[in-house]
Amino acid sequence: MKRVVITGIGAISPLGSDVDSLIKGLERKQCAVKYMENWKDYTGLHSLVAAPAVLKNEKDIPRRKRRSMGRMGIFAAQAAEQAIKDSALGKTVLSSGRVGCIIGSTIGSPEALTEAFEAIIPRKDISEITSMEFFKFVSHTAAMNVAQFLAISGFVMATSAACASSLQAIGTGFDLIRLGRQDAILCGGTEEVHPTVTAIFDVLFATSTKFNDKPKGSSRPFDIDRDGVVCGEGGGIVVLEEYEHALKRNAKIYAEVVGYHTCGSGNHISQSNKDAMARCMNEALNNAGILPEQVDYINAHATATKQGDIEEARAIKEIFGGNIPVSSLKGNIGHTLGASGAIELIASLNMMKNSVVYPTLNLEHIAPECEGISHVRGFETKNIEILVKNCFAFGGINAVLVCKKI
Amino acid sequence: MIDQKAVALVNDIFEESFEIEKKELQANKNIFIDLGLDSLDVVDLMVALQKKINVKIRDDERIRNIRTMEELYDYVVQLKKEGTKPK
Repeated sequence: MKRVVITGIGAISPLGSDVDSLIKGLERKQCAVKYMENWKDYTGLHSLVAAPAVLKNEKDIPRRKRRSMGRMGIFAAQAAEQAIKDSALGKTVLSSGRVGCIIGSTIGSPEALTEAFEAIIPRKDISEITSMEFFKFVSHTAAMNVAQFLAISGFVMATSAACASSLQAIGTGFDLIRLGRQDAILCGGTEEVHPTVTAIFDVLFATSTKFNDKPKGSSRPFDIDRDGVVCGEGGGIVVLEEYEHALKRNAKIYAEVVGYHTCGSGNHISQSNKDAMARCMNEALNNAGILPEQVDYINAHATATKQGDIEEARAIKEIFGGNIPVSSLKGNIGHTLGASGAIELIASLNMMKNSVVYPTLNLEHIAPECEGISHVRGFETKNIEILVKNCFAFGGINAVLVCKKI
Repeated sequence: MIDQKAVALVNDIFEESFEIEKKELQANKNIFIDLGLDSLDVVDLMVALQKKINVKIRDDERIRNIRTMEELYDYVVQLKKEGTKPK
């Protein structure tokens, strides 16, 4: 099997339009969650907070390439462009057939989807649908738009597993490069803040509803007062590359991807399951050939739901015991859903690079059911040789990635 | 003589939807070769015209034969004369 390394990163996040602003925001313990003024117009929507990103410089993308991109497509394209620039992979390589693109999201652009159906359904009339609506809201909108934008001609695929989408994209890219099918793949995810997306969680009573007047405190993973998910948006892309290929061109290497696993719980459509999470973490470690005690940091999924955080804390405790630092970044950027795995991995790679662990924002009083693991509540200096990134999604779908310093 | 209202209506669409600068929008310009539109843009052009003139032209074959801005201006004049919903 070939070895796989990360040679480029790019991100649009609620904390800013590049990786630097994401990292600076995390280092300053900033929170990007805001009160969403217009959302109160939606009857029955209890959660009126979200972590939006700022769409900017989109016209730098030529109209012919941009016209088929919804908001999330633009996030993905900009993050991908940053990642390619960072990796210094040449343009001709992108069109060689040996470079691919795997980008996931929960659905296509909800904004485009809503606009299209608002135009069609009231009068059962399709005559006002533009040529581009479909391209903005299909499930593979990000992957195909990024591939078109950057003229990528290798494998082009979309993983769609809600909150596990981007980690599944990275894991799939890892497997394809390991097998020798591609030399490099842009992998990641993207997502949009939209009231219809928050509504998905809201109808299940899984959103934060008690902090509409204090949005900065609304997303509080593992905290006793946590009351649910706060949705965020953005795009995160990493360039995965075959190790020898990267060495030959003297590429900058962030880390080696050494293990990955994804699995279903087969247990419940929405409720997290400790045993399935633990199995996924264990299999990812087995895949990497790494023992739990070798891991230096765990970047948790922890979305601040009542039940999910408990299950994850218990799963981590079962596999890793109570001594390995664990933190979640959802307090800063909310839950960027299909983008979360990639954006939070990028932040974790920066922790690895700078030997620091970022804390879980808003974790003031650890919930008793989430105790027993090593919660990070302030910045900690730590040499991180090996990190684990968790993502757990609706549908009982789990994904875990293991990265090693190189 | 070209109808200036039709010119303004069409040019607005080209500026807003296709991001083409006003100075490029000349009557003799070919919408595909000179202005860079493609078949997908023509669908969006139809939708934009429908909204501006309040007509239904999805099934109107005439738009498929249009090549120049002048032909488009004339088409808009014709649509306005016909009033509503040509088949």
